[in-house]
Amino acid sequence: MPSSIPASGIKSEEASPTIAPAKPALEARMLGAPRPWWIDVWVRMLAGKPLGTIGGVIVVAMLAAAVLADWIAPYGYAQTSLRQRFIAMSAAHWLGTDELGRDLLTRLIYGARISLYVGFGAIGIGSVLATLIGMVSGYLGGRFDLLVQRGVDAWMAFPPLLLLLSIMSLLGPSVWNITIVLGVAFGIQNSRVVRGVALLVKEHTFVESARALGAGHVRTTLTHILPNVMPTIIVVATTGLSTVVLTEASLSFLGLGVPPPYPTWGGMLSLAGLDHMYRAPWLAIWPAVALSLAVFGFNMLGDALRDLLDPRLKGG
Amino acid sequence: MKRYLLRRLALAIPTLFLVSVLVFALMRLMPGDVATRMVEGHAYAPTLAALRHDLGLDRPVHAQYLEWIGGIVTRGDFGRSYWTRQPILDEFVRRFPVTLELALLTILVSVVLGVLVGIVSAVRQDSVSDYVGRILAILALSIPYFGLAVLVVVLPSIWFKWTPVWSYVPFTTDPLENLKIMLVPALVFGVTRAGPVMRIMRSALLDVLRQDYIRTAWSKGLAERPIILRHALKNAMIPVISLIGLQMPLYIGGSVIIESIFRLPGVGLFFFEALTRLDYPVVQSVNLIIAALVVGLNLLIDLSYAFLDPRIRY
Repeated sequence: MPSSIPASGIKSEEASPTIAPAKPALEARMLGAPRPWWIDVWVRMLAGKPLGTIGGVIVVAMLAAAVLADWIAPYGYAQTSLRQRFIAMSAAHWLGTDELGRDLLTRLIYGARISLYVGFGAIGIGSVLATLIGMVSGYLGGRFDLLVQRGVDAWMAFPPLLLLLSIMSLLGPSVWNITIVLGVAFGIQNSRVVRGVALLVKEHTFVESARALGAGHVRTTLTHILPNVMPTIIVVATTGLSTVVLTEASLSFLGLGVPPPYPTWGGMLSLAGLDHMYRAPWLAIWPAVALSLAVFGFNMLGDALRDLLDPRLKGG
Repeated sequence: MKRYLLRRLALAIPTLFLVSVLVFALMRLMPGDVATRMVEGHAYAPTLAALRHDLGLDRPVHAQYLEWIGGIVTRGDFGRSYWTRQPILDEFVRRFPVTLELALLTILVSVVLGVLVGIVSAVRQDSVSDYVGRILAILALSIPYFGLAVLVVVLPSIWFKWTPVWSYVPFTTDPLENLKIMLVPALVFGVTRAGPVMRIMRSALLDVLRQDYIRTAWSKGLAERPIILRHALKNAMIPVISLIGLQMPLYIGGSVIIESIFRLPGVGLFFFEALTRLDYPVVQSVNLIIAALVVGLNLLIDLSYAFLDPRIRY
């Protein structure tokens, strides 16, 4: 049993990726394998992971809604019409309207855009940060590693929501702020996982031989360690998407995420609109459904990808 | 055991020190000025400068940090709120039972639900009840607790004219009334947290059920019930306990939202109100106390492994 709880939980340090030699593509060609791994994953997903496929479809649908929002949304997201307040579902407004007569479907579609914008943005920033901290800390080891890891410990001692709320209340709500803050939080938290893998990979003989052949530290990390850490990073990033989207929603729910007039699912659910919800329950139902569906999609896709890319990271 | 305990306690000190520096730096280095906000709100002092002096905000940052942390270490004094001038620790202690009760009830709900469904799913693997259980777990994982909470507040009041009780009664005054108030928030929060518990329970139990000592138990003719409940469950609980430990920060973080929806006067609400008023000392001290609680809890959980699995020794 480890002497301390591995920081990022069940899927942490003891988990190791399937270690491949430095050039998996070359190896695959020599063995006559027909597909590179990043195509193979999707083929195997379609063949054997129905829930993962459903999740993938939901995520693609969200992506499409987000990208095409300007074309498919029936109205403008801030387009008010005081004569058409609190309309229940109708032909003109499929999901009804809110207290200012804004079309709910339109706002949900634009909400997908904000969710994904923040979600992918934060995950992008976070993955780069996690890789950077994790690989450098794991590869260099020694005192530097010890110092960095104590810093990560301190960060992880906070309940994430309290810390994020503290930071956001000081920075003030904005799309940029929340993306960066969520990204940094995600990066620090998951640098642990990356570090664990980097620690394992660097002990392999192909790293030693690369060093013996005269490769410098930077070259060794980039060409030999990074490719082997990559599947883990992809898994961490996809499973993290649902958490990030949910966290953005909770912050927006408390009014410290994305500011109005941007429609966000968390913001639409928030207590500020509670009085209107008693009059028009669909104002509470549809954003909750949209959010649940998105989280479901990200979770299923992430789980399936984890199983396919990194069987030993299986959590539960 | 004793050495291990001492080593862990020694490790906690630098962690908590870093926590205090981190939270202090965050509160001071970022934009947003509490003095201006306070003068705008209610003229607490004749001038901005006088108020800053009163609050000690005009002194160098490191002196402010030393005063704050010095007070905590030497006198157990966590400072006073800028707005109410009340000692923070008193307020924290007064409100903590509410949050603790909410957390305990939430854990109870999620563990009872998650463990029961998890056992059924694992024992009857790949049966209809397994699939139903797994789908329920996925649903529970997908529904955000604040979404569910809003729906629970809004929909029954429209359809059944039922509303949650809004006025809080402490447990010590009227236990029954208090439980009636806490039940709905705990159920809402607990149900959404039961998903991960169930999934961990199921996979851990499946793992244990394939081990040799379980086969031995079967072969010596033991009935299914004692095998599962007495032999398998105890070992399979370890991952569940570490999951709960890992999720403890989530329960505390979630209490901010749950308490503000159901208007429970707990630490979460205290923290959130302080945040919106930029009440630095409150935010700092509450963050620090909670971080210390989390660190201590993790230690307790590590120690509980030795109790659950006698093979584990420290």
